Amino acid sequence: MKERMLGAGLLRAIVAAGVVATSGLVSQTALAAQPIKIGWLSSLTGPLSSAATAENQGVQFAVEEINKAGGINGQQIELLTRDTAGDPTKAVNFAQQLLFRDKVNFIIGPVNSGESLATGPIAAKAGIPNIVIGSIDELTDPKKFPLAFRPINTNTQWIKSANDYALNVLKRSKVAVIGDTSGYGTSSAKTAAELLKKAGVEPVYTALVDPNKTDLSDEISKARAAGADVLMPWSAATGLLGRLLNTRGDMQWDVPVVGHPSLMALPIKELLNKPEYWEGVYAAGYVSTTYGADGKLPERTQALMDAIRPKLGGEINFTFWWVALGYDTVKVIEHAVKKAGSTDPKAIQAALENTAKLEGVYATYSWGPDQRNGFPDSAMVVNRANSFKDGSFELAPQ
Amino acid sequence: MLLVIVSGLAVGALYAATALVYNVMFSTSKVLSVTTGHICMLGGVFGAWLVSDLGVPSVIALAGAALVGGAFGFLTEIVAVRRVLSRPVEHLWLLTTLAMATMVQQAVGLWWGTEPRPFPRLIPQDFSAGVLDQKYWLPVITVIIMALGLEFFYRRTMYGKVFVAMSEDVFAAQARGIATSRVRSLSYIIAGALGAVAGFAAGQLTFAFFAVGHGLTLYGFIALAAGGLGSNLGALVGGLALGLFSTFATYFFGGEYQQTIAVGLLIIILLLKPEGLFGQRQVRAV
Repeated sequence: MKERMLGAGLLRAIVAAGVVATSGLVSQTALAAQPIKIGWLSSLTGPLSSAATAENQGVQFAVEEINKAGGINGQQIELLTRDTAGDPTKAVNFAQQLLFRDKVNFIIGPVNSGESLATGPIAAKAGIPNIVIGSIDELTDPKKFPLAFRPINTNTQWIKSANDYALNVLKRSKVAVIGDTSGYGTSSAKTAAELLKKAGVEPVYTALVDPNKTDLSDEISKARAAGADVLMPWSAATGLLGRLLNTRGDMQWDVPVVGHPSLMALPIKELLNKPEYWEGVYAAGYVSTTYGADGKLPERTQALMDAIRPKLGGEINFTFWWVALGYDTVKVIEHAVKKAGSTDPKAIQAALENTAKLEGVYATYSWGPDQRNGFPDSAMVVNRANSFKDGSFELAPQ
Repeated sequence: MLLVIVSGLAVGALYAATALVYNVMFSTSKVLSVTTGHICMLGGVFGAWLVSDLGVPSVIALAGAALVGGAFGFLTEIVAVRRVLSRPVEHLWLLTTLAMATMVQQAVGLWWGTEPRPFPRLIPQDFSAGVLDQKYWLPVITVIIMALGLEFFYRRTMYGKVFVAMSEDVFAAQARGIATSRVRSLSYIIAGALGAVAGFAAGQLTFAFFAVGHGLTLYGFIALAAGGLGSNLGALVGGLALGLFSTFATYFFGGEYQQTIAVGLLIIILLLKPEGLFGQRQVRAV
């Protein structure tokens, strides 16, 4: 009796050991097969959809490229895309879903600063790394959002680069600042005025305009009456910018215009009453999408363009930096995971905090323990607004 | 300064046209449809599409835009109003017309794009015309023609009188043998066509933009409430006054205050004269 029980016990022990061993093997391969989940909050429809759809191309291309090469450390990337339609409420709902139900390892976006202001705290509370692609300065903070890292330039960098061009290259001193009444426009106009004052220039005229206001004659007339010798608009609303340029052109006022990158957006071209109204207009832009004196783009930009062009359908008739930015957000995640050796948020944080001069397409990034904005000032330039060609622009006259 | 007045009149004319469209729909159904502003949006967008993308001459494009507007008006009546009016739940039409408005805006956004696109120049004119630019005068002339046309319609035509009858007492009209549901559909078609024509005329001011609707719905309502619900003269005066007031407020106080002052005006008028400037005081027999 005892022998049989012992024998049965031994058999059970052997079977149990076997089960444990195989389950150990299974879980090892399961881990390798477990994908790295990236949540992508993109406003594919709604305002700023043109930026988001271009970024989406970059993101998807990077994910495919990495997965084809075997994934990150053998783990494939699973991209979960959610269309927020530019609505902060939807962005919050999707963020919560991605973080708590789908349990993603990273979140990229949202695209609009307004949405990002809402979702940033949620990602921070969930302890998941967030690659921030909105430009408003408040979106990153090493203390409040330790896991939020930003590869795009900050709004201040846009404004500084435009101010620098207006004051030091064009040598103007009587600035008219025009913002729109949206959250972005109001805060940008304020920041622009503050930065100008720091540079010793008091704006001669500031105005906030409703983005849908049908006529800008009084604002432009007042700016002219105040003696402005340069107009600096801070608005992403192409309708407003189109009307501004039309009014300036219709009243035959040849004052230069320096400001927001949207001044060189393609939709503006169609809104202009005459193509010459786009002359003397300059916008903050990037080294990565600017043609050099030899007519060539930076190597990495050209390489990405060549690789992704078949997917985009041949001609590139939108600003390419969005694609480059989207591509880089995934590459930053790849770099972080490889450096950290895992997707553990604390390890990712340490890895990115110790990342200097990471070469991307859009820019070369450096973050630090107290620095969450990775875009260098040296990668900013000012472009000629009407110089669009195949996704990139020409440098404004120096 | 003259330019401020002229641009105020122009945008005010668009608000007045929106208020007139509200009136036409309200007269036969007592419904204040949220889709009113979006009808104007459709006129602008389809007008731009017909002239710029398809190369159709402006007059035919105008007719085409009116057709689209009329069709959308009819659709609104069938989907959002007809069934809802017979329900005991009051003001359900607010939700259904809001739903229609949201759907049409998103659909147009998906098809036309979310950036404002140019509305073509309808009459050859140089851009340095200043106050005489057609983008200011087309909406003003259009709304005056609309208002005169509606007055003629209401006073001199049979259908117009039927509209007036329905707006006074639906049941009495039914008792007299008027097919009220068919007349209501007709009123929505007419309202749709008128709104689209207004949107077409104001296209050079607003650009062909998918998101124009909500703002116009609100401002048109303010114009209507200030001028008096049901009164066409009130709609005209209210709209023009609102347009002038908004542009003066922006000129003197700055763009941040534009909407606050417009709604503030509405509150003051409603406090002083709740039925609006030209409205009729509702007397309820007890």
